[in-house]
Amino acid sequence: MRVAREQSLLAFGNYTYQLLILTTFAGILTAAMVLQYAQGELPCPLCLLQRAAMFGICFGIMRDFRGSFSYRNVGLSLLNAVFLLVVSVRQSLLDIYLRPGHAYVGSAVFGIHMPVWSVIISAMLLMAYALQLAVLGGDRNLPNVPASAFPQLKRVGEAVSLYVMALLAINLVSVLLQCGFGQCHTFGYALLHG
Amino acid sequence: MLLRLKGLARMMVLVFAALLAAFVFGWLEKRTAAIGLLALAFVIAVGLFLWEVYSPQYGFDMPWIEVQREAPHPATAAG
Repeated sequence: MRVAREQSLLAFGNYTYQLLILTTFAGILTAAMVLQYAQGELPCPLCLLQRAAMFGICFGIMRDFRGSFSYRNVGLSLLNAVFLLVVSVRQSLLDIYLRPGHAYVGSAVFGIHMPVWSVIISAMLLMAYALQLAVLGGDRNLPNVPASAFPQLKRVGEAVSLYVMALLAINLVSVLLQCGFGQCHTFGYALLHG
Repeated sequence: MLLRLKGLARMMVLVFAALLAAFVFGWLEKRTAAIGLLALAFVIAVGLFLWEVYSPQYGFDMPWIEVQREAPHPATAAG
């Protein structure tokens, strides 16, 4: 009885942790889109790839809330987190030395530009998953507790997942307008200018 | 054929379309299709990344951050 209660508490903590990560990424992606549409900052190709990686991270967590927690889903999110780190580090290094035609794109948030923020975000996410594994230690019973065991948490998780899917759909339309069916540029929305 | 494939691989819109399809299939709990589409989006994204950072002049190098020691420091040279 006590073991089952502890197991349930552990699963609840784990789903809450996943929800926290998902909500954080939903917030980051929303902020990126606000900067794009409200301030007219068109994302560069590497910025778009970083967004794609962030959506990939959310995919693993969304699957947790549709069924039950799985270490495979954590693996999918980690794969995308590493990709986000690689792309953002490369972009930071690309513009780290001031030279003609190269400067950090977009406006700085708290004095830090977007690719550097991406490095910080991906490093924090890797640390968050490392912490999760350190605490849970690959608990084998966690996947046996479905998200539906916590109906309210599941509802919120699914709502945030749907919100992320809506953001992704808007991004798809936006990328289509910006890049068309070819290479992406930051001059403007290619399809809107003929 | 190969050129056409290369052109397709440069399409950012494909990454986002595959991602959205992966999310939809994931939501509908069609695991194999969802993972397959996510893998497709990932492969295209990696290809696009390599294509974006490759320069005909420098390759994958970043010469603007390469440093070169001009002369050994006297203290270092003395050991």
